[in-house]
Amino acid sequence: MTGAELTIDLLAKHGVNEVFGYPGGAIMPIYDALYGAPVKHYLTRHEQGAGFAAVGFARSTGKLGVCFATSGPGATNLITALADAMMDSVPLLAITGQVPTAAIGSDAFQEIDVLGMSLSCTKHSYMVERPEDLAEILQEAMHLAQSGRPGPVLVDIPKDIQMAQVPFHPWLAGDDYLPELDSNQVAIANQLLSEAKRPVAYVGGGVQAADAQKQLMQFLEKTHMPAVSTLKALGSVLPDYEFNLGMLGMHGGQAANLAVQECDVLVCIGARFDDRVTGNLSKFAAKAKVIHLDIDAAEVGKRKPAKASLIADLKTSLPQLSCFVTEQAWLDHTKAMMEQHAWRYDYPGEKVFAPYLLNQLSQRMPSNGVVCCDVGQHQMWVAQHMKFSHPSNHLSSGGAGTMGFGLPAAIGAQVARPNDFVITVSGDGSIMMNIQELATIRRNNLPVKILILDNQRLGMVRQWQELFFEGRYSETDLSDNPDFVQLAAVFGIPGQTITRADQVDDAIAALVNSDGPYIVHACIDDKENVWPLVPPGAANDEMMTESAK
Amino acid sequence: MKHSLTVALKNQSVAVERFLRVVRHRGFDLTHFQLNMDDGHYHVAMTVDSDKPIYLLTTQLNKLVDVKHVTLQNNLQQQAV
Repeated sequence: MTGAELTIDLLAKHGVNEVFGYPGGAIMPIYDALYGAPVKHYLTRHEQGAGFAAVGFARSTGKLGVCFATSGPGATNLITALADAMMDSVPLLAITGQVPTAAIGSDAFQEIDVLGMSLSCTKHSYMVERPEDLAEILQEAMHLAQSGRPGPVLVDIPKDIQMAQVPFHPWLAGDDYLPELDSNQVAIANQLLSEAKRPVAYVGGGVQAADAQKQLMQFLEKTHMPAVSTLKALGSVLPDYEFNLGMLGMHGGQAANLAVQECDVLVCIGARFDDRVTGNLSKFAAKAKVIHLDIDAAEVGKRKPAKASLIADLKTSLPQLSCFVTEQAWLDHTKAMMEQHAWRYDYPGEKVFAPYLLNQLSQRMPSNGVVCCDVGQHQMWVAQHMKFSHPSNHLSSGGAGTMGFGLPAAIGAQVARPNDFVITVSGDGSIMMNIQELATIRRNNLPVKILILDNQRLGMVRQWQELFFEGRYSETDLSDNPDFVQLAAVFGIPGQTITRADQVDDAIAALVNSDGPYIVHACIDDKENVWPLVPPGAANDEMMTESAK
Repeated sequence: MKHSLTVALKNQSVAVERFLRVVRHRGFDLTHFQLNMDDGHYHVAMTVDSDKPIYLLTTQLNKLVDVKHVTLQNNLQQQAV
């Protein structure tokens, strides 16, 4: 068996049935081995599209996503997707072809030091130096990507090793180093909970990584503890949970941010005190004692000290927390804040109001549908105004904030979940970053839906220019955008443009009822901003609102 | 504040590079570095300097797949006092 054949064989043996990629010179033996193999390959039109499709596949299922690229520019084009997967702890395996071993270091055609490039954007990476190492490296790589805190792993395989005869040795994962819960820390945590008057659960992406939604909800439903979510955690707390305060942070809801600022015990569950969450860190939850639950010890105390740290898989640590029922006075107060600061959808005028459109879409699309966002104003409106029943139904580039994520991620999600409704919500800036993947949708007849919120601007940058750069709108005018419906039509994708509020209902019906791919191009007010907003350097209780700007 | 650490690494060709990248990126200046190899492992003795608490580095190093163990030897400034 050649190295290339072994690579495909091992993927199949490990349950990888779909991969995303783009062929080229140094990975041709692997593509030859794919020919007729049981592993289905989805050809994207750019390697970044393959990387994000694999991320979308992984995030919508919890399974390993796999992408292929050739050496040199093929591999460099994967780097952004690897960085995105690193920031958001996504189990991803990238396999890249490399120039033959004898040519490495000679500046050969399409030779780049991919291993060197990978160091800052992977959990681990390998270059295979000997044919006899290939089987072990591939098996270890698949294990590493999915174990502990998940992340991207890259395997760079020189062409001669792909073509060489290689031995196969089964590789058995050793006992993973999973920290055992410190019983003293559990006792401290439970003591803090017993004394808490105003506790809040601060829920992060770790809940999805640990597949611990059930344990989270058991804890919340017994304690009635008010819960706030990071962007990545949306869907972890079920939408009908009575004390679900929604997203916190820079564009979080006012009730969520105020509750955290007032709380006396903050139970951080698989989150990392990201700067977009905390605002001014020294003023974030300043009255709170922190109980931090995370599988990654490096996250505990990295940004905010913890009084108790439960370093373990959340499935193990969450059930160790005592379920003291939250005091009624605090619950009444948080409920009052939720009512006082509820979202409003009564928008004057005839224009399409993006929050209303998204809220309507959320109510009318299947509850187990998948929403894949790009990055910018539309991303924050989705987080604010749509509801999710599981974190695998909301794919948004969190840590890296990568424009161009949404369309290829939706392709990956649709491949992974062919019977589910999958939609990408994008902006007129973001959609153009990987627009070539419309060809992938057409090639594979994927029923991906596309909603573009078009304000003819790089909206979030424009918003900051308005608020913090004295209205100097440097390079954010996109009024020369193409006609997106015509553009989609070139790829055989039907759709419609809407410009008025009274067209919203029919447009949503067209999206929801279409059997195939469909695009709605919604022209929105170019001056609409995302509110509330925690300004740079401010505390989370110093939010700007539309009326106070 | 200066800290002295010893680190054992797998003798993978890229292990030292990966490890040093983390030291730099996490905000620690390298003031001394010595590398030996035996028993199939790299053994690093190094001194780093930073205003940041040393656990912010050791916890990151401990996550690296190539790192077998990290030992904090002492706090050199405290020792000098």
